[in-house]
Amino acid sequence: MSRIGVFTCWCGENIARTVDVDEVAKRVAELPGVRCSLNYKYMCSDPGQAIVREKIATEKLDGVVVASCSPHMHLKTFRKAAQAAGLNPYLVEMANIREQCSWVHHDRVQATAKAFEIIRLSVEKARNDAALQPIRVPVTRRALVIGGGVAGIQAALDIADAGHEVVMVEREPSIGGKMAGLSETFPTLDCSQCILTPRMVEVGQHPRIKLYSYSEVEKVEGFVGNFRITIRQKARYVDVSKCTGCGECWIICPLKRNPSEFDYGMGMRPAIYIPFPQAVPARPVIDKSQCAKLIRNGCGLCEKKCKAEAINFKDEDRLVEEAVGAVVVATGYKLYSIAKSQPKATLAGYGEYGYGKYKDVIDSLQFERLVSASGPTGGVLKRPSDGAIPKSVVFISCVGSRDNAKGLPYCSKICCMYTAKHTMLYKHKVHDGQAHVFYMDIRAGGKGYDEFVRRAIEQDGAQYYRGRVSKITQEGGKLVVRGADTLAGMPVTIEADLVVLAAAMRPADGIEELAQKLNIGCDEFGFLLESHPKLRPVETNTAGIFIAGACHSPKDIPEAVAQASAAASKVQVMLAADELTREPEIAAINEQTCAACFTCIRTCPYHAIDRAELRTPRGAFIKNTARVNPGLCMGCGTCVSVCPSKSADLQGFTDQQVYAMVESLA
Amino acid sequence: MSKAQEFEPKIVAYVCNWCTYLGADLAGTARLEYPPNVRIIRLPCTGRIDFNLIIKALEVGADGVLVSGCHPGDCHYTAGNYHARRRWILFRELLDTLGIDLRRIQFTWISAAEGRKWQQVVTEFTDQTRKLGPYKELYATGPFPDVPAPETASPGVKSFAAESELREVCGKLLAEGTVKVVIGYGARGPVVVTRAEDAERLVWNNRCFSNLTAYLKRKEIKSLGKAAVIVKPCDEKSLVELEKEAQFERKDAHVIGMACEGVDQPKCAHCTARTPRFADVTLGVEAGPEPQTSPSPNRFAALMAMPPAERMAFWTEEFNRCVKCYACRQVCPMCYCERCIVDKNRPIAIDPAPSTKGNFAWHIARAFHLAGRCVGCGECSRACPAGIDLALLNISLHIAAQKNFGYEAGIDPKAEPVIGSYTLHDTEAFIR
Repeated sequence: MSRIGVFTCWCGENIARTVDVDEVAKRVAELPGVRCSLNYKYMCSDPGQAIVREKIATEKLDGVVVASCSPHMHLKTFRKAAQAAGLNPYLVEMANIREQCSWVHHDRVQATAKAFEIIRLSVEKARNDAALQPIRVPVTRRALVIGGGVAGIQAALDIADAGHEVVMVEREPSIGGKMAGLSETFPTLDCSQCILTPRMVEVGQHPRIKLYSYSEVEKVEGFVGNFRITIRQKARYVDVSKCTGCGECWIICPLKRNPSEFDYGMGMRPAIYIPFPQAVPARPVIDKSQCAKLIRNGCGLCEKKCKAEAINFKDEDRLVEEAVGAVVVATGYKLYSIAKSQPKATLAGYGEYGYGKYKDVIDSLQFERLVSASGPTGGVLKRPSDGAIPKSVVFISCVGSRDNAKGLPYCSKICCMYTAKHTMLYKHKVHDGQAHVFYMDIRAGGKGYDEFVRRAIEQDGAQYYRGRVSKITQEGGKLVVRGADTLAGMPVTIEADLVVLAAAMRPADGIEELAQKLNIGCDEFGFLLESHPKLRPVETNTAGIFIAGACHSPKDIPEAVAQASAAASKVQVMLAADELTREPEIAAINEQTCAACFTCIRTCPYHAIDRAELRTPRGAFIKNTARVNPGLCMGCGTCVSVCPSKSADLQGFTDQQVYAMVESLA
Repeated sequence: MSKAQEFEPKIVAYVCNWCTYLGADLAGTARLEYPPNVRIIRLPCTGRIDFNLIIKALEVGADGVLVSGCHPGDCHYTAGNYHARRRWILFRELLDTLGIDLRRIQFTWISAAEGRKWQQVVTEFTDQTRKLGPYKELYATGPFPDVPAPETASPGVKSFAAESELREVCGKLLAEGTVKVVIGYGARGPVVVTRAEDAERLVWNNRCFSNLTAYLKRKEIKSLGKAAVIVKPCDEKSLVELEKEAQFERKDAHVIGMACEGVDQPKCAHCTARTPRFADVTLGVEAGPEPQTSPSPNRFAALMAMPPAERMAFWTEEFNRCVKCYACRQVCPMCYCERCIVDKNRPIAIDPAPSTKGNFAWHIARAFHLAGRCVGCGECSRACPAGIDLALLNISLHIAAQKNFGYEAGIDPKAEPVIGSYTLHDTEAFIR
């Protein structure tokens, strides 16, 4: 670039007070490549911008340097002005002589000298600028929602209602997630299924939602706007297109004593089953580890009974591919395994509470099923060991949460509330029963939340002890719970019929593998990382991938729904246009000189560089090379630094530019 | 001294766009005054700040260089600063070995909210640099101290027992067509043998010191077909690294490993690798003197015992002898770029002329490109016609990689290379 215009701004007095703008403009005019140099009181004002536009036209400028404030303040402004005058906006540079010069120095001579050097540096950069074109990426106007819990359902319905197609993948046989199994919800005590099942039906019947139940995400390729998702449809052994959901098969199935996943082992189900009566889709699956036909070619009663001929014992996993533009991850949570043995070395169980050893020590989700009207006991609270109605129940909160020794220092956030709810549900079912709660602190921040806890204590008579439980033993038919009441300063021993552990929330199984497939981050506990904790709470660091619900952190239902709607609105913004425009300041590799050591591939934080082959037009192999995917590159330039042959370079901050800038300081 | 005469240092600051540049902007918004000596160069990320840029800043006369970016965990690009931190750890060790005054290079993390920290860092760094004075010690003018070189005996040629077996095996490989070419040692140095009858030209003796894996990268050898390469246990390490860098596939070469009796090189005194580990066939028996147990090579210890200014003087004299023949590069098994950084002319990162500055820049780049990759074959030192002990620089990075990251090149084929990886716990004791 040899016809550069330099426009020095006074910024009223902000710059002109300490920098001699006339002197600077005069000296700058002498610099090589500078065609014109002038100064003006307010460069960013309308008349100021008009001067820039006019000079671009009259002087046929091929580069512009505006010496004024920080590029973070007005680079976009002047790029637009240049574009309006027909100059490529990436030929505009800013010299920051306000924030980094006039505002921090008082000596006029020194500040003027420094301002000149800053401008000279920017002129050198501008001389090596290239006219860049914004990268246009076509957008597939469909979205993928991973996980069919309440967050996934909300996101899918929002996006689909806005007119875009949605693909939903749920690994269980039915959508509904954890919420479908809850009894009542706090703080209103309205029935969970009454709220959720209509939404599930809406998903199942929505013309723009394609539901893959009993399926998992196998592979993710592509980049923002253009993801290719491979979905594994697990063998269901039931042809969903033929099945009418009549239920003859699961009624006839003789293998009825299998612990139900949906009831967390509190109830039983046949080998061919739907998880719960309101399941969506209401189509059964056969558990191949239990079915006598699949194990030893026996039985086969369901096949004989099925009038629709939907049973297919030869079914296999199928891989299908879907193209989407954006992804919402809503994979939810699971409970901390409170048994003695733990899946991870960093976690320690609670052997002292006897979970797994004593039948009447259960976790909170199991309790939900025992008090649910649709649960295995039909809503009558019967304890698992002998079916007796428990007259004394101990609830222990923070089992795993806020416990560094057990490996989970965070608060699971919802346990205080659901434990209060449990005591109320219990009292409403067993009027002469007594609920005891051991807690560390009560955290009931939320609309109507603290009032709810007070109601549990004051109206429903739950007995709260601030303290921990040290041990649970079984003596006779009773569970003896030994703990401390630290407010009273006394040990407490309670003979209980049932103990409910409020186990910590952890991200669902397989989250790390999924995060790896999507190239998004997890924290040390496996919860997915947002792009910025305050300003970008539903975005991830990979463009086009959003998160919602408890896969991000422990959340209650209203929060999960709110986050899902937020993620959905971000997706809608993305899908509103046919094309995405991305900044062209990204990396490129000179494939002729690339030594194919692939250090850049290991280094790139965005997995934006791939191995590729350089071939002649006729297809003959020439050499291996690294290649940048412009859809994924975010322009950090880390590849440039590690490239030994300097074949990688970063548009907008090329080596040529940076060296020219440094050399201007000689 | 009047104010006009007082020395004012030149400070070049490389800062990332998202944290430190905004921190400096905030210092402006808050009107926090600091000395006007600093010149800021804005780059997107600390990950983009190449070590060559630090050298370039010193070349253009900077008395101090400031490098600053986002705190760990805050990187706009998630991990650019972690990659940068890892390179800085190694680069500082190299600079220290060269005797470059580390007080003149300041690394910091300054966030967008830390306008005051920017003010403090710039003020203190400028004051400190002003006190240190102009950076005259860079490219010292003498006197030049010496580091005693190890005694190199030049005994006569002593053939090893496995020589005839080697000829037999290679002849057979060629005759049967298992390989098309054998890269081996001849009476006067490396030879490339393509005919079975020429296998008689191969020798195996105490003068077989070249690392022949360097020839695998040659296009003209690749074009001949599958090659057999004769490696000593020490040379074999380069194959491990080359495979990690996708330059070599095990199936493409037939590796003939020689159990080693020592080849009368300085490195042999400390060598513990006597038997090849990955060879297709191993010939000979390991023998030779017991390795000396002293942990680090003595010459390097003697160098590091000198004060930095003397080290700088030592290297200045060494590098002044360099004629930029690039024998060190050509002979290195790990230098395989088809276009070397020094051959790139837009921009010229390294002055290609054999000038003091250009020689420093070249040898820094050569050594740093080998960080965590050099297998210590010592061919660079042996090939240098000017007798510059280049392996000394490689040793400093070898030790740095081992000390900081527990990495030793050429040992574990599965270990992640030092450059291009990072951990959250990499040391940052030197970062303000």
